[in-house]
Amino acid sequence: MSTPGLYDEIQEIRARYPESLSAVMPALQLAQERSGGWLPEEAFREVADALDLTPAYCLSIASFYDMFRLEPVGETVIEVCTNISCGLNGAQQVVEAFESELGMKAGETTDAFTLRTVECLGGCGWATIVAVNNRHRLNVQAGDVPRIVAEIRGVEWKEPDEPDA
Amino acid sequence: MSPTPEIVFAGCNGGALTEIADYEAVGGFQALAKSRALTPDDVIAELNASNLRGRGGAFFPTGRKWSFVPKPDKIDKPHYLVINADESEPGTFKDREIMLRVPFRFLEGCLIAAHAIESKHVFIYIRGEYEAEFEVLVAALEQMHAKMLVGDVTIVVHRGAGAYICGEETALLESLEGRRGQPRTKPPFPAIAGLYASPTAVNNVESITSATTVMEIGGAEYAKLGVENSTGTRVFSLSGNVVNGGNYELPHGFPLRDLINELGGGIAGGRSLKAVIPGGSSTVILTADEANKVTLDFDSLVGAGTAIGSAAVIALDDRCCMVQLAVRVSQFYEHESCGKCTPCRVGTKWLTSILQKIEDGRGTQADMDLLVSVAERINGKCLCPLGDSDAIAVMSYFDKFRDEFQAHIDEGGCPFHGDSSLDSLLAPVAMHVHDEAVAHA
Amino acid sequence: MSDLVKVTIDDREVEVPKGTGLVETAASAGIEIPVFCYEPRLGPPVGACRMCLVEVEGLPKLQAGCTLTAQDGMVVKTAASSEKAAEGQNATLEFILVNHPLDCPVCDKGGECPLQDLTFRYGPGNTRMSFSKITLEKPIPVSPLIALDRERCILCYRCTRFSSDVAEDNQLVARNRGTHTEITTFESDPYRAPFSGNVIELCPVGALTSTQYRFEARPWDIQNVPTVCGLCSVGCNINATVREGKVKRILSRNHPEVDGGWLCDKGRFTYPHLIAEDRITEPLVRGELGLEPVGWDAALDRAETLLRSAGTRIITALSGSESVEQAYALARLLRGGLGAHAAVLPESTSDALDAFRLPLSSLAEAEIVVVVGDDDVADRAPVVDLWLKAARRNGAEIVRYGPTGTEPRGPGGAAAALRALVRKGNKLGERLRASERAILVWSGAGGGGGARLAEAAHALGFEGKSGSGAFHLPATPNGRGVAAAWASAADEDEANPEPIGLLIVSGDSAAADPAVRALAERAEHVIAITMFHGLAVGWADLVLPATSSLESDGTLLNLEGRLQRLRRAVIAPVPDELAWLSQLAGRFDVELSPHAVVVFDELAALIFGGVDGSELNGTAPLPARTPYVAPAPAAEVKPVAPARPADGHFVGELRLLRYRPLFSGPFVERVGELTFQRPPAELELSTADADRRSITTGDHVVVRSNGTSVELRARINRGLVAGVARVADEHAADLHLMVEVVKS
Repeated sequence: MSTPGLYDEIQEIRARYPESLSAVMPALQLAQERSGGWLPEEAFREVADALDLTPAYCLSIASFYDMFRLEPVGETVIEVCTNISCGLNGAQQVVEAFESELGMKAGETTDAFTLRTVECLGGCGWATIVAVNNRHRLNVQAGDVPRIVAEIRGVEWKEPDEPDA
Repeated sequence: MSPTPEIVFAGCNGGALTEIADYEAVGGFQALAKSRALTPDDVIAELNASNLRGRGGAFFPTGRKWSFVPKPDKIDKPHYLVINADESEPGTFKDREIMLRVPFRFLEGCLIAAHAIESKHVFIYIRGEYEAEFEVLVAALEQMHAKMLVGDVTIVVHRGAGAYICGEETALLESLEGRRGQPRTKPPFPAIAGLYASPTAVNNVESITSATTVMEIGGAEYAKLGVENSTGTRVFSLSGNVVNGGNYELPHGFPLRDLINELGGGIAGGRSLKAVIPGGSSTVILTADEANKVTLDFDSLVGAGTAIGSAAVIALDDRCCMVQLAVRVSQFYEHESCGKCTPCRVGTKWLTSILQKIEDGRGTQADMDLLVSVAERINGKCLCPLGDSDAIAVMSYFDKFRDEFQAHIDEGGCPFHGDSSLDSLLAPVAMHVHDEAVAHA
Repeated sequence: MSDLVKVTIDDREVEVPKGTGLVETAASAGIEIPVFCYEPRLGPPVGACRMCLVEVEGLPKLQAGCTLTAQDGMVVKTAASSEKAAEGQNATLEFILVNHPLDCPVCDKGGECPLQDLTFRYGPGNTRMSFSKITLEKPIPVSPLIALDRERCILCYRCTRFSSDVAEDNQLVARNRGTHTEITTFESDPYRAPFSGNVIELCPVGALTSTQYRFEARPWDIQNVPTVCGLCSVGCNINATVREGKVKRILSRNHPEVDGGWLCDKGRFTYPHLIAEDRITEPLVRGELGLEPVGWDAALDRAETLLRSAGTRIITALSGSESVEQAYALARLLRGGLGAHAAVLPESTSDALDAFRLPLSSLAEAEIVVVVGDDDVADRAPVVDLWLKAARRNGAEIVRYGPTGTEPRGPGGAAAALRALVRKGNKLGERLRASERAILVWSGAGGGGGARLAEAAHALGFEGKSGSGAFHLPATPNGRGVAAAWASAADEDEANPEPIGLLIVSGDSAAADPAVRALAERAEHVIAITMFHGLAVGWADLVLPATSSLESDGTLLNLEGRLQRLRRAVIAPVPDELAWLSQLAGRFDVELSPHAVVVFDELAALIFGGVDGSELNGTAPLPARTPYVAPAPAAEVKPVAPARPADGHFVGELRLLRYRPLFSGPFVERVGELTFQRPPAELELSTADADRRSITTGDHVVVRSNGTSVELRARINRGLVAGVARVADEHAADLHLMVEVVKS
């Protein structure tokens, strides 16, 4: 069924751009936010309807970009950067620590968690970077992982550190 | 901490200028007022005098780029300024810190550039992963609107959604138009037919932020900083096996050795430097010897057969297996290939497979030749630089560390025996692929 | 004249107009630059496949030849003369083949495959790729008409570019990124769009194949018969692929002025109607037990008896799908032999339009196009819709007056819209007058078969402008040709016989027409000339089997006024109409050749200015414009009362807008694979009308009028004018003009 308000909010986004096609990415981002962090079939149909596009077109866009998810995600999405600089600073050990702490493999999803490795998150000087629901944690080491997981499970959400170069 | 006065980060004192009053207190928005009092041509002349060159990686003179945008009376279409804030080149993390700490200087630069190319429409394409940075920009813009500083220009902050290729300017424009982020063939160039087929200047965040300073202190003054052909300061992103990773704003011409050893605190854990990737993952690697001889500017690095690129310096210590590095770099380009042109789409994957085979100890002497041949067949055949980058980077590891590759063949496995710093590093699995029988190579 | 430039390719100098594509420039010098993704009909080149890499003097890197245009003094070296270019080309071919399966022996494309051909000519001959190729489930359905083998796909993006940039249906798209990219529709939705089949022809490998053609033939045991499509008034040029006397597929045979090389799915996929289960293969005569098969002699005897006893009290109902020769033969027999002049003719087309004649392709160059009428262009003349889309992409302003138009008008508002347009001071009208390339299109019933359109074009001063003109989109494929042929056979006026002694029903549209069926009830006897049992049983006294346009030689007059040749692709299972008509005519002392060419020559002398039939071979030309002759003025038409406005509880009636969808009619009904393309049982209504009735998309509604009611699914159409209930003909049953719509 339709997501309340989505159609109208997408019209507002649409009005920001000289050509309405430009609104497809922000509209999909909004729809994903409203659909529990991923894009079910119905979300594509709603975005398409709101922008006079086809669901197929919206799918072709969403599937091109890594941050759109086409399958359900856990309540908390943990992403570990495993590109060069993080890799040189123990990213693999951080991944393994999450795997053992959460009892799941990278790439897997449970109701509570999605754990995956990602390409460079742009924090190479503060390796390893871990994104928890898109908020970046810097200088993460394998030893920090139990504390991070406990913090997430403990419901309370603290603002992440900002980089302090 | 920095040995020279900061320009991009001026007035921060190690903190962030996210309140408009604080920014104004250090002279903020005076450059904008000054620029708006000048004709667009005079602003461009000032930029030309500064010889400010693009900080995204191509090092193209910013003033000249703006001068390529036709005057409004020459072409009956709106003009657009598009800011490339899709910083994604592995090793690079400078633009995010600029946006976090000096958002107003950056936005001021956007308005100066818009004035210079006579545009009323600014789009900031910021990479989707930069959520905090997005919020800082939006908050800064609100403060500017409240102070009526934006005038009749509209600034839209548009979030990317996770695709390295959108850092390539034509792919970025495609993405901004609501299409798959696949590069366009050039010509036409964006200056003539960019966003919505209209005249468009596409500039990097640091370039635009530096433009503010150019207008503040004057082009001639700016040109005194740095070295010939590489004027001004540069925010260098230092990462890898160094003690103090982070961003360092330095004048061009600064010795690479000093960045690593002095500012960066040297190689961590008492290890020794093995190699340096000097300008982001797509640049040719330098051996420790080579790295110790170069300075961080365009000419010195070109002289050493590499490039300043995005000024992202990645230091590698002696534990790093070069074949593993090649695998991981090639995996990255394979993952980020947009899929439009054949050599990149197919070649990057093939290259990764050959490298992995060698790393796994299954490689033969023929695979070494094949590796070179496939890389050569990618290089120079692609639609955009992405595929070339993979081939060039991998070939540089091969050329400079051939013995290490050979050892993998001779020993039937990795000579590091599991002790390499990149050992069994897990690359991301491809997104959105849930077909039961997906590729396995 | 455009400037000529000199280009040197492989040391050969060639002169071409500046801006000519490099691929074409090379071709003009007899040099091949091989391509996969390049296809100019899909829009600007994309340079994706990299097969066309060439060396250009002065440029350090190899260039994608397809993206370059000829510039004066350009020096180009292709693989034939440059090692570097050859290496580039070899590289591309090697990369393309890395994941391409070696299943050519079982691939439909084998033998007519560009990849196979180029590999044979330039390919490496062996592989250096020792890893597993990408393996995927194969083939998967894109729709009931199209199968996709993703392993064979080389991602040239021709198909998706067609979908997005030509048909603009955006149903077939690329999914994922990089090496994981694949062609797909949305989830399990089929590629449901009028032009989907073109992607099969565009595919340069065997990735997209026709489910109808799969494993049916090989390129070396087929023949392609050049003919034209007889299913609508465009007359797209086609090749009918024939194997062992059966049509196996229909391909486009690009007529650049008519179809641009595109076909609609109706034209492409309905050929299996030729072998429909209820195809009539022998004459049928009504006997004690209903229709019974008889021999041809008996059938013609019976026909003669019926004709003689009815004398002049005969009405002939024509479909408008007959060839001009068939129509003329019928006319010669009935009008010449019996003096039976009465006829039900297909919707007329005004001769006044000939003063504004244009090739359809001129739409693509137009500056302003105004389309009026109640029907979607794609339902009436599908390929015209593609020309309109091309026009808009090329920068034309398209103004649409109609129930779903940019300028919304209620049903029947076309003539009024045109009258307003030509009135002094009308802004759009002024621009049309000022333009050198302005075109009017009438898409719908009424309007005197283009007469009102011609008046408007005349008033706007289009005669003298070769880029301005008018198109009327008739409801039938050859209505104008049929009417002209019928008219040419005699001068006498038509008299309405009463009582009707004999009704002759020619063709399937006439047989399916409710008005003709009503006449049949008043007629003493009925002769039906039809292809299918379903349309003949129950009312005809004599049924004579008909042939399809794929089985006949003949000539059709399309909506531009262009005569085009039908060629018999396969031998019909029944004698040709001309064969038995000439025999029957002989019994009434009318001399009539059984050969279409001979009949055409006779007819051409009468009405087509003595055109030489051989000129119509290949791609037929468009005759020159004729001077404007004002058509008979329109009769005063009482405007239809608008729907009553809403007030309180009574939400008012809606005006029923019936439409005949592209995918309808006896041929479509007989091809199972096309079922998914037929319109769903739904009612479209405007947002306002839906809101007023608390109806949302997906609701089941009852549509009622004077005791008749139909249950349909509702769909809100945001582009539809208020006050209208739009329903496909086949779902509208006996609903009257004004209907009430309530949620069920």
